[in-house]
Amino acid sequence: MSTATVMYPKASAEAVTLVEVCSVRLAQTWFGVPITHILEIVGSARPQPVPLAPAYVGGLVHYRGDVLTTVSLRQLLGLPPKEGTQDILVLECSSGCFGLLVDSVGEVLTVSSVDHEANPSILDERRKTLFAGAYKLKDKLLIMLDPERLDPMRLSAAQAG
Amino acid sequence: MDELTREFLIESQEGLDRMERCLTDLEERPRDADLLGDIFRSVHTIKGTTGFLGFKRLEKLAHAGENLLGMLRDGKLLADRPIITGLLQLLDGLRSILKSIETEASEGEGADSALIEQLEALQAPVLAQAKQPARIKATVHAEPEPPPAAVHVSSQVPRQTKPERTAPVAGKAPDEAEPEVSRPRTQTAGTAAESTLRVDVTLLNRMMNLVGELVLTRNQVLQATAADPNMTLLSRRLDMVTADLRENVMKARMQPVSNIFSKVPRIVRDLSQSLGRRVRLQVEGQDTELDKSLLEAIKDPLTHAVRNSLDHGIELPEDRVAVGKDPEGTLKLRASHEGSHVVIEVSDDGAGIAVEKVRQKAIERGVITADRAAQLGERELLQLIFLPGFSTAAAVTNVSGRGVGMDVVRTNVEKIGGKVEIDSRTGKGTTLRLRIPLTLAIIPALIVHSVNQSFALPQGALSELVHVPPEQAAQAIEWMEGVPLYRLRGKLLPLVFLDRLLMPAGEHKMATERDNFIAVLDADGRRFGLVVDGLADPEEIVVKPLSAVLKDIGLYSGATVLGNADLALILDPSAIALKAGVTMSVREEAAHGGEEDAEAVKGLEYLLVEAAGRRAAVPLTEVLRIEQLPVSRIEYIGYRPVLNFEGQLLPIEDTGGVLAAAEGDPDTQIIVVVCREGTRHVGIAVSHVLDVAAGADLFEAGTSQRTGGVTLLKERVTGIVDLGGVQALPPGLSTVEQRWNQIAETVA
Repeated sequence: MSTATVMYPKASAEAVTLVEVCSVRLAQTWFGVPITHILEIVGSARPQPVPLAPAYVGGLVHYRGDVLTTVSLRQLLGLPPKEGTQDILVLECSSGCFGLLVDSVGEVLTVSSVDHEANPSILDERRKTLFAGAYKLKDKLLIMLDPERLDPMRLSAAQAG
Repeated sequence: MDELTREFLIESQEGLDRMERCLTDLEERPRDADLLGDIFRSVHTIKGTTGFLGFKRLEKLAHAGENLLGMLRDGKLLADRPIITGLLQLLDGLRSILKSIETEASEGEGADSALIEQLEALQAPVLAQAKQPARIKATVHAEPEPPPAAVHVSSQVPRQTKPERTAPVAGKAPDEAEPEVSRPRTQTAGTAAESTLRVDVTLLNRMMNLVGELVLTRNQVLQATAADPNMTLLSRRLDMVTADLRENVMKARMQPVSNIFSKVPRIVRDLSQSLGRRVRLQVEGQDTELDKSLLEAIKDPLTHAVRNSLDHGIELPEDRVAVGKDPEGTLKLRASHEGSHVVIEVSDDGAGIAVEKVRQKAIERGVITADRAAQLGERELLQLIFLPGFSTAAAVTNVSGRGVGMDVVRTNVEKIGGKVEIDSRTGKGTTLRLRIPLTLAIIPALIVHSVNQSFALPQGALSELVHVPPEQAAQAIEWMEGVPLYRLRGKLLPLVFLDRLLMPAGEHKMATERDNFIAVLDADGRRFGLVVDGLADPEEIVVKPLSAVLKDIGLYSGATVLGNADLALILDPSAIALKAGVTMSVREEAAHGGEEDAEAVKGLEYLLVEAAGRRAAVPLTEVLRIEQLPVSRIEYIGYRPVLNFEGQLLPIEDTGGVLAAAEGDPDTQIIVVVCREGTRHVGIAVSHVLDVAAGADLFEAGTSQRTGGVTLLKERVTGIVDLGGVQALPPGLSTVEQRWNQIAETVA
């Protein structure tokens, strides 16, 4: 911790907070979603495609008596679609619930705010709007996703704009 | 809005609804002390609570009304027509303030002084008399105002310090202590209050959702356990409990139609006064229940229908006398159950619709050509009044005498999956029938396949299905400058290929390389054929809402989970028509009606079926649907074959011996033609459905009498299946559970 204090004097001025984050994998990249926003994790789902829907819509899944719209993270990041099943994080945002399609769900990690850094300036604009900085872990970077920014309603507004 | 205000709004609105009912009754029984007491309490409760909540405008108005009502209740004034009109205006005034509190959280700006003055003026005779000493004997009773509505917590607020100028006479006091309940007066007050409970509609919706979920899980359990004999009893029990639960949760959302019928007396009163009609209102089946959201949806159509009956149906008293009718016209409202529908009838004994005038007007307005008009029968002509454009007020009121907003009635009712029928006899009256499904949440739909996916097509819009095999596609589907068309009984039907519509960029098989199924749809007067790759079974689907992003696509009205746990999007036929550019002018539609009629002249259309080698005909108008199922689905009550169709028992007629022939192998597929016979449904077991054809009459040689029971179909004499001859099921099997038990017994 002491090294961190030296390197980031600004962060040390604020109280160090610990955040629980669920890690998810997409191709070779790890992403993190704050667990406070996760309602449930649904494993190996096969969403039903919706013809004529915006490209980022990954399809529909049946979730507890409701029909849930999913957002395909792969599509948002411009990756080719994955063969076979994907895992779904059921996320809660201000306008309701939606599912986030990821390749697989990792584990729940506790990360410290001192390890957080904002989006680097060289990141392209699209990714800047989707990511909420990253946590520097020992062996990798954990890119944070903000459920509010992934909300399909917001994505559609962003697309229209 | 805080809890207290919300509670106040709900209670006040209920109170005012009750007051409205009582006021119209009061006109007939102006001396009824109970009615007066009830009305007084409604207004008094509002006044008491408003003072506490600080709604000054409302308090002032309610106070003015209360004074007048007090005098009526004490018998100092008689509730004559001007007073009732004044009180109805008071009611409207109170309602509009409540509405503004609800929407804007304030009483809003508005001058009530004119209304208050009017209410005071109505008290004038008493006030004038009160100046005479001889009349002041009410002061003897020094007893304080009894708590008028002890049950209402809010009204116990000690705000009623203002002395009542019209202190109640002692004899009336006990009436007031009667507890108030938010139910019609006819119910016994005490028990109703104890056995009812206010429940949030969202909670009920959630319950409905979960029950839908349970139904799906049950379907899967049933499929999974079908092979295991040990599980049969358990899964049958699960099936039964689920069906029962679903029925009851649906019932919880039901409200009696009296909720909307109760608005009618007021409309009738106001309109008959302003139009100079004399009308007696008869209401039947008030306690028939309907889903709350559907009830909301038919409020406007019902009002329209009632207005129409009064405005154009029932004649002026002198005109009625002139044709030998009772000067007082009768308007009948009737609600009843009919299968899975509720039928609401608005009938009058007025002049009826002059069909000839409709015909003339239709020609005049260019809706149909004179040739067509001459061909149209009475029934078809009546349907014309539902056409938009035919119902512009000025054009129709003075001609056909009917039709204002009739297209609105039809549109609103069709929006919720209902149907409108009209029946009219010149000089005898008109009956408008609204056929409303019991619930919105579960609808019958046909599952279709396209782009390797399942979609649900609501059956309400579906009129028929046509199969075009690949080898016939080249001739059957014709192209006109890139627009595909199909000749349906000699008439061109625009086609929409679902796969091309859904995936404009994708590669598609030509029509000649695959099976084509044309679903002939009728959406808001737009008729077109939707071409899909395959058909699956019809299913009762539970409609689930879509997220806003997907709703914006505009093609889907929702999604559903099928019996095999697959998701399916529900297609919206009118949106598809719009998207594909299918429009149909009034002229074309009317022409279409004419075409149908031309066929009717040739003879009735029949469904030609074959049962164990013999051909038979079923009148097409009576055919509801055709089911293909394994013979094992047929169960027996005693010797009678029946089909359990989602808890509804269908008696099966098997004169052709199809069931007997299939007995040995439980997997044999048989076809059941489900028909309407009067109000009941019956099934006819057949081995093949051959065709649809128009029948020609046959005449007995020598006598030249038209023969019954047979028709000439495809140049062969064919017997017509006698639907009326299908024996009814034993009565008394009223509930699903009883039916199940009965079947369980007979099966065991």
